[in-house]
Amino acid sequence: MSIRWRKSSTQLITLVGLLLTVGSVLAGSVEPREWLNRMAAAVQSTSYEGTVIRIRGGEAEALKVVHKVVDGVIREKVVAQDGNGLEIIRNGNEVHCILPDRKSVLVEQWDDQSTLFSTLPSSDIRFGNEYDVSIVREDRVAGRQTNLLAIRPHDGYRYGYRIWLDTETGFPLQTQLIGGDGSAIEQVKFAEIRLNEEILASSLAPSYSTENFRWFNQKGRHVTRSVDSDWASNDLPRGFRAISTHEEKMPGSERFVTHILYSDGLANVSVFIAQNDDGNSQGPSSVGGSNSFSAVMDEYHVTAVGEVPAMTVEQIATTMRPR
Amino acid sequence: MNDAIRMQISAFVDGELPDNEADLLLRRMGQDAELRHRVAEYLAIGRTLRGETSVPGVDRIHERVAAAIDDKPLDVPNETGGTPSTTAVRPLIGLAVAATVALVAIFGLQQTLSVNGTDSQPLEGAVAEIDDGYTVPKPMDDQLRQYYLSHGETATENGANGINSRFVVLRLNEEQLEESVVEDDSVSTDDADDLATQP
Repeated sequence: MSIRWRKSSTQLITLVGLLLTVGSVLAGSVEPREWLNRMAAAVQSTSYEGTVIRIRGGEAEALKVVHKVVDGVIREKVVAQDGNGLEIIRNGNEVHCILPDRKSVLVEQWDDQSTLFSTLPSSDIRFGNEYDVSIVREDRVAGRQTNLLAIRPHDGYRYGYRIWLDTETGFPLQTQLIGGDGSAIEQVKFAEIRLNEEILASSLAPSYSTENFRWFNQKGRHVTRSVDSDWASNDLPRGFRAISTHEEKMPGSERFVTHILYSDGLANVSVFIAQNDDGNSQGPSSVGGSNSFSAVMDEYHVTAVGEVPAMTVEQIATTMRPR
Repeated sequence: MNDAIRMQISAFVDGELPDNEADLLLRRMGQDAELRHRVAEYLAIGRTLRGETSVPGVDRIHERVAAAIDDKPLDVPNETGGTPSTTAVRPLIGLAVAATVALVAIFGLQQTLSVNGTDSQPLEGAVAEIDDGYTVPKPMDDQLRQYYLSHGETATENGANGINSRFVVLRLNEEQLEESVVEDDSVSTDDADDLATQP
């Protein structure tokens, strides 16, 4: 997230107050894209505390979440309710991942403003003509009134989304990634939530004393450099365009791989181009809602990866050519 | 790597290796990158094809997946949230193997990776030859897993990431941390003097 919110606390309070005040008034008349704007603002500025359920492939996990924004700085605590009690403590860009049963802490830097809910693009996204955005109906989620916003793709090259937005604040209380058959591939839903209520500092503190824990520091995984590439797809699905091109080293390798990121404004596909080696895999692969396809082009191994249907990555991977 | 070691790895992955031999294997993994890589490969394969988030002997899973963790002293993390000033801090680098295995675990991956375009291809190379008693599934392609991870990072940097990516990060962190701890334990045993002490 490149746009950073560095507003004063007064401005934030004013913004949140404004949203709360006019929210219900606007609920019945706001255009769908205006809802997206409101959602983006709410995700960036709203403080909340609640329980999130993530459902995917018939499995569910629960997370306790506390999120507070102070002077544009995000403070967040996430506690897994299952397993070993993993805790994520975020203070601005610094993130501590605490594993209590291991008495260890992993320190990371998240140099973006995305939160537990990564924001969907706002109304100025480059949707182009590839999606329809509409308000479907009113509904209730976590005991709150919501408006269900649907993002429907025009073709089978991308997924759709359903987002239940809190009527008062525009905050996304439930999100679904929708496959071509209309079923939810993945969904995240608040089971209960308190929005914009006072959050005590103690609620954001670790649940454990980490004084005697071991600390680990995670370094960046890739070495990257921006480049101009001669490679391009000669049959790119409509609406996609290259938004970044760079070279990077994969962990454990000294060779650079060309990485081109395509986007239609919502869906993203990465294409990796490397020297082909014996044993490189070819064909399709899938991970959750993400798909990939690898193909060999002369002496190069080309792989497309993205949160898009399998046909999209296959078409892109098999049509990449040096210009 | 001889057949005996391969058999040992196979038994270890299945949770069938006696404790004393398992401990010995773990120590070797702390010093032998190839061994770590091979064990991680078996783990990824097993998890993937069984659709499991763990395999038998789950408490040692992360010990088998020794990531490429740098054991040199390192920079001090930022003092956020009361980082203790006397705590040893270790770096995590590439995590090529660990992170990729973690990715599999996160998604409960139903891998449809095909080798040379055919799903039913038998496993190629040494891995396929190791142990008739162990059902060796198809290998996950480490490079491909790195591509998935890199895609997620790059898409996030460009501000149009998927809606649930932070949940992925949560699980990646957990897996990486657990693996790092185990690796660190192994390093500590053999080379305690090299550990960094945070000022």
